[in-house]
Amino acid sequence: MADQDKEKDKSNPPAPAAEAAAPAAKTPASEQEDAQNFFGEPLVGLDPGELNGTLIVMEGLDGSGRSTQIALLQEWLESEGFAVQTSGLRRSNLVGRDIDELLAKNAVTRLTLALMYATDFFDQLEHRIVPALRSGTVVLADRFIFTLIARSVVRGINRDYLTGLYAMALRPHLTFWLNVRPETAFAREFKKAQAISYWEAGRDMSLSHDLYWSFVRYQTMIKREFEVMAKKNSFIELDGESSVSAVNKQLRQYIGEHLGIRATKYTPSSALAHLWR
Amino acid sequence: MTDYAQNAASLQLSQPMEIQDTTPKPVRADASKTTLPQPGRPVPSRAYPGALIVVEGTDGSGKSTQLYLLKRWLEIGGYRLHFTEWNSSPLVKSATRRGKQKRLLTPTTFSLLHASDFADRCERQIMPLLQGDYLVLADRYIYTAFARDAARGCAQRWLRNLYRFAPVPDITFYFRTPLDIAVHRILSGRPKLKYYEAGMDMGLSYERAESFRLFQARILEEYDKMVDTDNFVVLDGTLPVNKLQKQMRDIVASKIDLKRFAPRSQEQE
Repeated sequence: MADQDKEKDKSNPPAPAAEAAAPAAKTPASEQEDAQNFFGEPLVGLDPGELNGTLIVMEGLDGSGRSTQIALLQEWLESEGFAVQTSGLRRSNLVGRDIDELLAKNAVTRLTLALMYATDFFDQLEHRIVPALRSGTVVLADRFIFTLIARSVVRGINRDYLTGLYAMALRPHLTFWLNVRPETAFAREFKKAQAISYWEAGRDMSLSHDLYWSFVRYQTMIKREFEVMAKKNSFIELDGESSVSAVNKQLRQYIGEHLGIRATKYTPSSALAHLWR
Repeated sequence: MTDYAQNAASLQLSQPMEIQDTTPKPVRADASKTTLPQPGRPVPSRAYPGALIVVEGTDGSGKSTQLYLLKRWLEIGGYRLHFTEWNSSPLVKSATRRGKQKRLLTPTTFSLLHASDFADRCERQIMPLLQGDYLVLADRYIYTAFARDAARGCAQRWLRNLYRFAPVPDITFYFRTPLDIAVHRILSGRPKLKYYEAGMDMGLSYERAESFRLFQARILEEYDKMVDTDNFVVLDGTLPVNKLQKQMRDIVASKIDLKRFAPRSQEQE
């Protein structure tokens, strides 16, 4: 974004509602700016110029270690003096609980579920992520549109449809992909709950009556979708099979560089020491 | 610009797309003619044997009364039909209620929640019934979202993509009623307008009735834009109820082969 554009943005207060509904013809410069900030379409009523924070996304299969790494990164960033906000799927006030119920009842069709997840995503984007970014906070997102797109694509929903649906998603500053083999993911997920859930095994897709194979096939399909998206969206791929501390060190280096933190040494506090294996 | 953005920029309703079906195809006698509907792909009316009739118009345009009378006419005649209403899926109800009560909804989430509701009805009722050779009557359809959400500021291109999976109606009746008349019909019959109904979220006016009026004016403008692009059959909402209903029935009878939906015994005679 050119400096003069930045100034122009700051001098313009957010458009009043009356104008927002009928936006004036866009200049090429602002369209280009939108493309930098969003995946395709600007979010209604949002001026990207007022976002000062950093959006960091953690993607990967179930059991790839995303939440562990986010917990550790949050502690590290806070110790470095950065305010941190987290987000994740089904955490919106608007429909988070409703999706939980739909999943539990298993009474929902694929497109409806995809749109409920989109509602959940945009509610968090508008009410959690954007306000945090406005105040200069670092947002650590446990999964983002990539998981949502992958899950729907493997269920036969058109890819263009989904990229159009998420056109107003903010483009992350850093997207990490913790890449693990589905077999490893299975072992880790099983260890957590001594069971594999209906949805993480993709049981709705009738891939196999065998739970293990259903899980592996489903997660392999998701993994392939990540591979498709990795290049286009400049994923930073990390080996999710290496130790928690090794992955964390790499993450701290990338994030440290982005945020200008020179020393990226870190040892977790006693509260999180159990994650550091 | 990445491919993502380009994809989104080039989206159009009529664009043909590659599809994937992860479920096995059912074997049917007339399977050669019918294709299974795919999420994210427009469904042409030739893809199923049923027929879809929808009514659209601003609040107070008279559309619900007219669709009710059409439904009664067809019911009394014994035709196979299903009636569906905008924003009525039990699955999404609690979320919509919570969102409205707590005023959590933004133009985007308002739109998405209604799209979820529509998707649920579409996947579980509208499409299966159209495939099962039913006459489906819809009180409000995707054009309500196109008009209302666009009036709230959502991008047309995004909205058109969002509802790409919807079957295209056989007839779309648009009840065009002048703003003053429609607004008067609503305000005289209702003690208090609800927050989102009045468009209070858009900050058009602090006064609910005035906000409602301004909001409805925008919606009317959006509807008018679609008359040609979406083949609306425009009806004059100020005509007497029975005259309007006569027009509606004549158009239905001329455009749809109603015999196909008649009771089986009649069909054989």
